[in-house]
Amino acid sequence: MKFSKFLAGIALPALLAVTVSLSGCSGSGGSAQSEGDSKEGGKGEEKVTLKFAFWGDTIEKKTVTDALKSFEQKTGIQVEPMHIPADYLTKLTTMVAGNVAPDLGYLSSGAALSWGKDGKLLNLAPLIEEDKEFKKEDYLDQVWYEIAPGNTIGMSTAVEGYGLMYNKDMLLEAGVELPPTQADKAWDWDTFIEYAKKLTLDDQGRNALDPNFNPNKIKQFGLQYDPYNMMAAVVSNGGNFLTEDGNGFGLAKPEAIDAIQKLADLMYVHHVSPTPLQTKSLPDMALQTKKVAMTVSGNWALQAFAEQDFNLGVGVLPKLMKSNTLLDGAPTVIFKSTKHPKEAWMLYKYMADPESVLPLIEGGLWMPLKKEWYTNPDLINKWASGNKAHPEGYTDAYMKQTIENGIRTPGFEVKNLDKINALVTPALDLVWTGKKSAEEALKEIEPKVQPLIEGYYGK
Amino acid sequence: MRKSRRVSQIIVYAILILGSVFCLLPLFWLVRSSMMSSMQIFEMPPKWIPSPFRFQNYTEALTTIDFLRFFRNTLTITASCLIGALISSSLGAYSYARLDWPGKKFFFGLLLASMMLPGAVTLIPTFIGWRLADLINTYVPLILPVWFGSAFDIFLLRQFYAGIPRDLDEAAYVDGAGPWTIFWRIIIPLSKPPLIVIGLFSFMNSWNDFMGPLVYLNEESKFTLALGLQMFQSLHSAQWHLLMAASTVVILPVIIVFFIGQRYFIEGITLTGMKG
Amino acid sequence: MLHKRRIAVAGILFALPSIFGIMLFVILPMLTSLLLSFTDYRIVNTPKFIGFTNYKRLFDGTDPYFYNSLWVTFKYVILRVPLGLIVSFIAAFLLNMEFIRGKSVFRTIFYLPAIVPAVASSMIWIWLFSPDLGLFNSFLEALNLPTLNWLYSENTVVPSIVIMSLWGMGSTIIIFLAGLQGVPRSLYEAAIVDGAGAVRKFRHITIPMMTPIIFFNLIMGSIGAFQVFTEALIMTQGGPNNASLFYNYYIYRQAFQFGEMGQASAIAWILFIIILIVTAIFFRTSKTWVFYESEV
Repeated sequence: MKFSKFLAGIALPALLAVTVSLSGCSGSGGSAQSEGDSKEGGKGEEKVTLKFAFWGDTIEKKTVTDALKSFEQKTGIQVEPMHIPADYLTKLTTMVAGNVAPDLGYLSSGAALSWGKDGKLLNLAPLIEEDKEFKKEDYLDQVWYEIAPGNTIGMSTAVEGYGLMYNKDMLLEAGVELPPTQADKAWDWDTFIEYAKKLTLDDQGRNALDPNFNPNKIKQFGLQYDPYNMMAAVVSNGGNFLTEDGNGFGLAKPEAIDAIQKLADLMYVHHVSPTPLQTKSLPDMALQTKKVAMTVSGNWALQAFAEQDFNLGVGVLPKLMKSNTLLDGAPTVIFKSTKHPKEAWMLYKYMADPESVLPLIEGGLWMPLKKEWYTNPDLINKWASGNKAHPEGYTDAYMKQTIENGIRTPGFEVKNLDKINALVTPALDLVWTGKKSAEEALKEIEPKVQPLIEGYYGK
Repeated sequence: MRKSRRVSQIIVYAILILGSVFCLLPLFWLVRSSMMSSMQIFEMPPKWIPSPFRFQNYTEALTTIDFLRFFRNTLTITASCLIGALISSSLGAYSYARLDWPGKKFFFGLLLASMMLPGAVTLIPTFIGWRLADLINTYVPLILPVWFGSAFDIFLLRQFYAGIPRDLDEAAYVDGAGPWTIFWRIIIPLSKPPLIVIGLFSFMNSWNDFMGPLVYLNEESKFTLALGLQMFQSLHSAQWHLLMAASTVVILPVIIVFFIGQRYFIEGITLTGMKG
Repeated sequence: MLHKRRIAVAGILFALPSIFGIMLFVILPMLTSLLLSFTDYRIVNTPKFIGFTNYKRLFDGTDPYFYNSLWVTFKYVILRVPLGLIVSFIAAFLLNMEFIRGKSVFRTIFYLPAIVPAVASSMIWIWLFSPDLGLFNSFLEALNLPTLNWLYSENTVVPSIVIMSLWGMGSTIIIFLAGLQGVPRSLYEAAIVDGAGAVRKFRHITIPMMTPIIFFNLIMGSIGAFQVFTEALIMTQGGPNNASLFYNYYIYRQAFQFGEMGQASAIAWILFIIILIVTAIFFRTSKTWVFYESEV
């Protein structure tokens, strides 16, 4: 590296930024890719190299890297795995700003939708249409991320569904019937509270139904309900983040307020659930250590639970009005700046195939994207039954419930979600700490939220 | 008289020992967690002694990530930065502390101002600069800036240099010495403690730097230990026991370097003690 | 005078590398961000000049977080800067006392909190601050005092974070320690001859001789405190109810979570101006209390 070149390199961009920012809306800025990756091009025949960006712990990293390698062997297309161990969005934002985005990779849903809207992500719809091997209907309907009709930026990297997980021994000891695994048998809210009370014990061993129960000295909680998952209760009560037409703040509507209040009541009225303060002193492994009898969590927790030594059971979530669940999953996207959209699409398809990433699905972290894996018994046997990460009842409580009654989290489609949440989260802090009722808190921020509401993507 | 001195000495010791207990707490926590199972780490109230001791955490942690390679990479960056920081900062500080030149105040102000804007908003412009210089995915963006001096180091050394009596310079000028001679023969030998401080900080900074390597390095083969530690954590899960074991190994060199480095403080006294 | 010119030339030459480096690696990106603060720049679009809009939306209340985060940050700075100076100076002074044995060990121990990675130390803090089982509340209970919710209450979250940060003062202690090595012993010896006691020695020798270093730690402590960030990111994410939404955390969120780089730049430049003013005031007053031997 010659010093003069370096000097030019670092001084130029500042000038460039100056001119760019002053010249306003000049062109699309998409041509800056020209010199970057063309080093290998000189050898005559072009060798395609794709950069695939992803996050994940060491287990996920290994599976994904192995899958990328096997893709390489099958197709001869080189793949450079880019594992970003932390601060994923900071790194990706910087790369995109510097015009050195990877070809494809994971992305958080908020960034994906907003970058997609600004045209930085490849619209997969034409590729899907051209591709005779690929049928969109083969994949779950809920996993697609669409900016607008005809502009599809991708699908979830994996399906994630919510349900009830519990320590079977604790329920048996308390004489509580085990949570049902089928939607039509789901506990209603009152039954659920009664059982949760039976499972909540104070330091004298009295449960929460006992008139002498001391709520200030609770040793064992019936249920841990991370407020982060509160949308599951909201949708079960027929509410949602926005109103159906996308013009109103759904969380301030009666169904949602009612559901959120009921969750707060679990802590402050029924005393069956730890408050955020009490949660801070609960270990991650509360089920195993019998600090908590039941917890609401996503399937990914199974990967960790499989390593622990206790009698894990799963069931469907208790219902408010209808039995359903939340479905989540950040997308994998192809960046528009890629010079090899065809090859990137091949890799995209390959990674979406449950077979390629089977260890993660088998291990409980992911649920597969393809419908057939939820219906065909042979395929189900490959992942959802008969292994430690998928206890008895899983196929009903998680697998079936997610595909049949899975309601997408707001992250899939609500515009401007991050900014709305920046208002909602602190307001809900007040509810979860018992300082305000759900109605007060949410009605209070409604006027501030309203101007930020821009409706749904894909509609 | 004697007795009261005794008492005050005991009080000082008591304060220091109490402070030490608090300061040892994080290290102790880290080390005990590094020999526990993930579950035990989180038990409340905390268990202080692992049972059983899981020494295999260490072997598992060090084989899960490419520890040796990360270690080598980190060492390369740290050593390069250390040398650069010492040379460039002491040169700059000498100029600001003891030499008069037009524009000095302005440039010193600029130096201080350079620390006042949060890095979040300069990250992208800086990145674009390095990208246009075609130096992304190399160590150059992590090392080269240090070789041109850091504002913190220069300011710190300037404060120390400014405390060295001026008569020493004047006497040397009379003897016909130039600024370089004074810098090399008088200033540097008299400022060992601050130079050691700068060295320690520089070592610590590059050893622990996470954001720089994260943003500028793409290939895992070039990663540093700070990045490697992050691999044990993820969105939904973390392998806490491995993380703790790996962290213990990573900070061990820092503690050793610090322990050795600070001993030279004492040497500083005798040298600074001679007054002009 | 030839002598003066020679010094000036040397001065410029000595400073040149750092001037060059700071201009290139810091000032240039800073200026770029200044320009971006007048644009609508969301990473994925071409920056578009929009005048003072990004600044206006802060002051006219369109942005609901601006005043709050300023206030939260000021609270932190006002607590943290003086406490930090006092605690670390005392620690350094005690660690430097002549009769202390095992200085090396003590010094290393006091520096440890600055070395241990945040993942480990944050767990300890969660335990110490835990309202139910935490050490601090057990202590208060033992003294029959009312317990606190520490990090989890709007009123106590900032002081709690100050306490946390005081713990990691190792670097400042070390700088003070290095400074104390430079106080010539001859001064103390002369004072003893004059019959000065410990307090007088401390007030009339140690403190004045240390003013350049105190000044350094004051300036850097303030610059650092205004940019407090990590604790909020790791421990509270700005909560509860934005009570620890520190200014720098708010900038980071605007830049990398919301992708509003133009707005983030404007927010950051306001902080720049605040820090600049505060530093300038300190420099002005320094003439009356900072004592440089070389200027005598």
